Amino acid sequence: MSGLGDALVEPLRHAFMQHALVAIVLVGVICGVTGTFVTLRGLAFMGDALAHAIFPGVVIAFLLGGNFLIGALVAAVLVSLGIGAVGQSGRLSNDTAIGVLFAGAFAIGVALISAQRTYTRDVAGFLFGSILGVSRTDLLLTGGVGVLVLLAMLLFRRELTTVAFDRVFAQAAGLNLWAWDQLFLVLLSLSIVVSLQTVGNVLVLAMLVTPAATARLLSDRLPVTVLVAALLGAASGVAGLYLSYHVGIASGASVVLVATGLFALAFLFAPRTGVVTARVARRLHFPHPERDAFAAEGNRGMGYGDRV
Amino acid sequence: MTERDGGRRPREGRSGTVPDDADAGVRQSVDSPLPSSLVPLEARRLSVHFGNRSALDCVDARFAAGETVSLLGPNGAGKSTLLKALAGILPPSHGEVRLHGRAVRRPSSAIVYVPQRSGVDWGFPVSVLDVALLGRGLRRSRFAPLGGRDRRDALDALERVGMRHLAAVQIGQLSGGQQQRAFLARALVQDGAVYLLDEPFAGVDVPTQELLVGLFGRLRDAGKTIVYASHDIAQAVASSDRIMLLNRRLVAAGPPARTMTEANLRAAFGGQAIVPVASSAAS
Ligand SMILES: Nc1ncnc2c1ncn2[C@@H]1O[C@H](COP(=O)(O)OP(=O)(O)OP(=O)(O)O)[C@@H](O)[C@H]1O
Ligand SMILES: [Mg+2]
Repeated sequence: MSGLGDALVEPLRHAFMQHALVAIVLVGVICGVTGTFVTLRGLAFMGDALAHAIFPGVVIAFLLGGNFLIGALVAAVLVSLGIGAVGQSGRLSNDTAIGVLFAGAFAIGVALISAQRTYTRDVAGFLFGSILGVSRTDLLLTGGVGVLVLLAMLLFRRELTTVAFDRVFAQAAGLNLWAWDQLFLVLLSLSIVVSLQTVGNVLVLAMLVTPAATARLLSDRLPVTVLVAALLGAASGVAGLYLSYHVGIASGASVVLVATGLFALAFLFAPRTGVVTARVARRLHFPHPERDAFAAEGNRGMGYGDRV
Repeated sequence: MTERDGGRRPREGRSGTVPDDADAGVRQSVDSPLPSSLVPLEARRLSVHFGNRSALDCVDARFAAGETVSLLGPNGAGKSTLLKALAGILPPSHGEVRLHGRAVRRPSSAIVYVPQRSGVDWGFPVSVLDVALLGRGLRRSRFAPLGGRDRRDALDALERVGMRHLAAVQIGQLSGGQQQRAFLARALVQDGAVYLLDEPFAGVDVPTQELLVGLFGRLRDAGKTIVYASHDIAQAVASSDRIMLLNRRLVAAGPPARTMTEANLRAAFGGQAIVPVASSAAS
């Protein structure tokens, strides 16, 4: 008991662990909520693209000494507008437009930062995050942006749901598809930006997609899916951080591994839909003449019919 | 079926389509202008082009309150295009759509549009009831959850399309015809003045077809305008007040008996062998 208690309490003595835990819970919840819509709309590639496209914005803000959040947002909005423009031209698929623009934007960021002397460290921090360096100010920023994103998702839940589910209906009901898409992409960019410090650019996609995918396996209702995704995101974050602390592996990776493990469990054992569960259920429910006859016989007096 | 037949009224005098270029030999029914209160929806010289191809050419049409109009024409005739333009989701190249006498450039909540095929993600985590409630959600305060009245209206609409027992089922777990009815329930919940339906009878079984005819009849009797595209000529003749024959241009419009003449059908469908329904006296 005290061993387990210690394992849970001991890390909390360090301020950096306290900050890291609060940060990862915030990120888990924010990414769980926006990520549900990312998975529902099949925007995983777009999410990955935005995470990369943000890079030049962060670098330019860093070089100019400005706020990295603003730099990242400007870059994300410009790239998402560019993707929209190229994708709508008709000849190229959206997928192709995303691929071209995000790689190009990322290259600008790499080019700019490669001129710096601290190049390797800066890039590593961006790619993999530096969760143990989360300051109090970072937490306030993450919390503030997070509340903004969650409030916007809550207020515009019906529009965002309608646009995600049935675009023709949304249009006929008077919604401007382009404007609502852009709003969602901005909220998504904000979620990604506040996650970069904790999980890094490479793994942020997992925070968006994996808990939401797990939640979808567990629920058929949208509000429930969103809640479960937020909970799973936060839980994977906390469990992953402890794992990282005790086992001594990179925190971003261990958070993602926990989330992926939960996904695998749900995939195999989710009630009704799990691969294993569904097979067992089929075995139990499918009529099986011999077995049923045998059981009926047993019931009639062979004495062992009442055993399970 | 029975309530529909009971509610049937002759409305020869109210049907109104005023084509501006009457082809020689093609009969048009031209009626006296209607007061605009009776004409919620009107298309004026409506043309739609896709690139340099014309899909609709200078179509004039007026739709009265309390009438059922069916749009007939071959594949590619522009039926879907006309409905989308009327719904305000496809901007016309020329001409305009007027709702209650005012030009509409944006979709209006008074017009309910049900597309030919719903391109929705069937795996989306929404139940049949959730889908019906979408017809109300965008019009309610974003600061409050939907009320009990909205839920009752949605359940009521599901009852009317015979889907109430499936209210809790996820939308992807329905058959095609049931999915279609779920979207129809959403349209009922929207409660518009004009219903534009693109091939609502395609792929539904006979009981559902009868259910739809009854439903449209009751909506019409409640003063709604129902315009639907169809390929079922006999069905359209039997259960609509007016028929519009379309083939890129408006070929003819009016009550079935006067519109479905051999000359009109030939003009709309080309050389295809279609037996005219109108009596010889009508042409
Ligand atoms: N998005 C589009 N881009 C280009 N052309 C289009 C588009 N939509 C329709 N068209 C063209 O416009 C014409 C009318 O199409 P529409 O869908 O309105 O026909 P329809 O009468 O509804 O046919 P159907 O009976 O097959 O449903 C067709 O020739 C079609 O090729
Ligand atoms: Mg069509």
